[in-house]
Amino acid sequence: MKRVVVTGLGVVSPFGTGLKAYWSGLAAGTCAIRPLSLIDTAGFRCGIGAEVPELTGGSRRRSRADRLALLAAREAVEDAGLGRHERTDTALVVGAVGGGMLEAEAWYWARSRSGADGHPGVFRSVLPYSHAEVVGHALGLGGPRESVVAACSSGAAAVSLAADLIADGVVPCAIAGGADALTRICYMGFNALKLLDTAPCRPFDRDRRGMSIGEGAAFLVLEDAESARARGVRVYAELRGSAITTDAYHATSPHPEGDGMTRAMRSALARAHTAPHEVVYVNAHGTATPQNDRIEARSIRDVFGDGRVLVSSTKSMIGHTMAAAGSLEATATILAVAHDLVPPTANHETPDPDVAFDCVPKTARDVAVDVAVSNSFGFGGQNVTLVFAKS
Amino acid sequence: MTTDVVITGVGIVNAAFTGASEALGAYLTSPRPAAPSFAAGAPGIALADEALSRLVDATEARRMSRVSQLAVAAARLALADARIAGDTPLGLVIGTEFGDLRSTKAFADGYLQRGPAGLSALLFPNTVMNTMAAATSIAVRSREASVTVNAPLVAGELAVARAAAAVANGRLPVALAGGVDQLDGDIVRMIGRLGGAGETHGEGAAFVVLEPRAAAVARGVPILGRIAGWASRVLTARPYGVGRGTTSAAIATALRDADVAAPDVRWIYRSASGDAARDRWEDEVLGDDLVGRPSATLRRDIGRHSGLGALRVAAAAWTARSGLLPSDGGDVVRVPIGPGLVHGLARGGTHVALVVTS
Repeated sequence: MKRVVVTGLGVVSPFGTGLKAYWSGLAAGTCAIRPLSLIDTAGFRCGIGAEVPELTGGSRRRSRADRLALLAAREAVEDAGLGRHERTDTALVVGAVGGGMLEAEAWYWARSRSGADGHPGVFRSVLPYSHAEVVGHALGLGGPRESVVAACSSGAAAVSLAADLIADGVVPCAIAGGADALTRICYMGFNALKLLDTAPCRPFDRDRRGMSIGEGAAFLVLEDAESARARGVRVYAELRGSAITTDAYHATSPHPEGDGMTRAMRSALARAHTAPHEVVYVNAHGTATPQNDRIEARSIRDVFGDGRVLVSSTKSMIGHTMAAAGSLEATATILAVAHDLVPPTANHETPDPDVAFDCVPKTARDVAVDVAVSNSFGFGGQNVTLVFAKS
Repeated sequence: MTTDVVITGVGIVNAAFTGASEALGAYLTSPRPAAPSFAAGAPGIALADEALSRLVDATEARRMSRVSQLAVAAARLALADARIAGDTPLGLVIGTEFGDLRSTKAFADGYLQRGPAGLSALLFPNTVMNTMAAATSIAVRSREASVTVNAPLVAGELAVARAAAAVANGRLPVALAGGVDQLDGDIVRMIGRLGGAGETHGEGAAFVVLEPRAAAVARGVPILGRIAGWASRVLTARPYGVGRGTTSAAIATALRDADVAAPDVRWIYRSASGDAARDRWEDEVLGDDLVGRPSATLRRDIGRHSGLGALRVAAAAWTARSGLLPSDGGDVVRVPIGPGLVHGLARGGTHVALVVTS
């Protein structure tokens, strides 16, 4: 099995376009959750979320989510210095959920009023695979192309599956990540489930009341360590191991004892040949729903022991970005390893007695981060854990 | 490749055939209809609701959408065929092109008709395309990796290739791999306007059970076939477009990994769908060497849907054993017993090849 390293990163987040804006926002503990402008919130309890500000670049004929994906993937490719020749044998694995639903909703709303079908082009971009088609074509990627839907863990699942392609020797390089734009369906759905807080979310806080939705995209360039060394490029971190598990329990609720979460963390650590005590930081799924955080906290305690690891949720700053969450949080975890700085949990006021660890409240922490873990979970009992380490 | 990956179970649910490996040969050698048969008002070849209700009992059916019921029914058939017990560590890879679009529209309609009060918390999870995998993993206790692959036309083939790699490299001890889609009038109409007007659409689900040969031998179950090689690559094309390039490493890589020379491929299950421009492109990609080989698509009485990928793999295993190929012309032709190719090429350029042997 080949070693997999991270040689490029690209981000579009509620802090704006670019990796630098993302890391500056996280490191400063800035909360980018504000009143929503993209969708009509009239009649709903919650009117806030984390939108990407001033989305520029990319053809306006493309869906918002396709544009987010392409901007982030292009930055990652440039960051890694991948030339046109290298891209012909580069894989692309994209985690996606909403696809071009934001535009399709407008089309569907209009059709329900007028009865006319309109232009079929909107259908071409509505399905989740559209991001991979757009990114792959624009960047000239000739390796395997896959779109993966694993609900809110899609971006992390894409990273894990892309790493498998490199570890197995299928390709020397892969671009992996996730993208999602805000959509009415998503916003209304989480409202219907009563899972949204009316204030910016407070992960792991005793008084947390639910999540905040967001949007964005993040892509990683993963590379065979030997190939990266031969190219002489900077390595952010090694993706030492990963695992995907399934609860097989409920369509939306996690297993009450965190069975799938715990198995994902233990399996990823085993594949990474890493003992729990080596892990310094866990970037938690941390949605701020009472149920998720309680169960995830229990699982983290079961795997790492009481109070030993630092745990933060960057969703407190950028909201839950759905398919992009896993890769945005993987990026935060990689940068924590690269900069020896743990991003905080914003809005964290009151410790929860059921949460047995330091949540890095409000302020980033300077600490040597040799090994860090990123957790992502989703509807359908999907669990993904990624283990990153200094290379 | 580190482990020999074999097929030990097959489960298929569609309008033309519902069953497992034992009955598959009889179906494949039965007379084919000269033209697809649509029920009144259906946009394609639909599975009758009564047929589905015989596979998923009413209590369980109330808890899941129709497309999830298709997936669960086929998965159970495949696992029973492979004699997989409920406590076996099991992974799941499902390909789908359209997911549960019906539920998504129903969710939106609730809002459009009644405002926020019309939103259904029960329907919302079905709007996420992994809902079929979620329902299936719960129904069959699949607790290892669960992956939903979304792709135009070849999602099922990609799912089988991905699962084969996971089994071969020790990440999954046993994998259920296949695909599922259901008919929807909006989909058929819009795809027709995007260039697929000649296609016949269908619905259903199909799975194969993949496991290491050593595990199958130790369990004493019949080995139905072997996935000897697989690969996917991309040919240059605009999103949902048909390209001009014909050079892809997918076929060569799959053959090399299978240790099969191109001249030894004597028959092909291919992804020709009736989309004339795409089908011509597939001819060109297969090239002069392969395009003349006896081929089958199984689409005529079943219709395009993501279950076809695993069905073609299951049928290829049967052809590799029996030396019989159900040609699209309606005849069953004799072919040499031995390796064959399952080939998929999608608009947009996703290209997948699987080498199947007995």
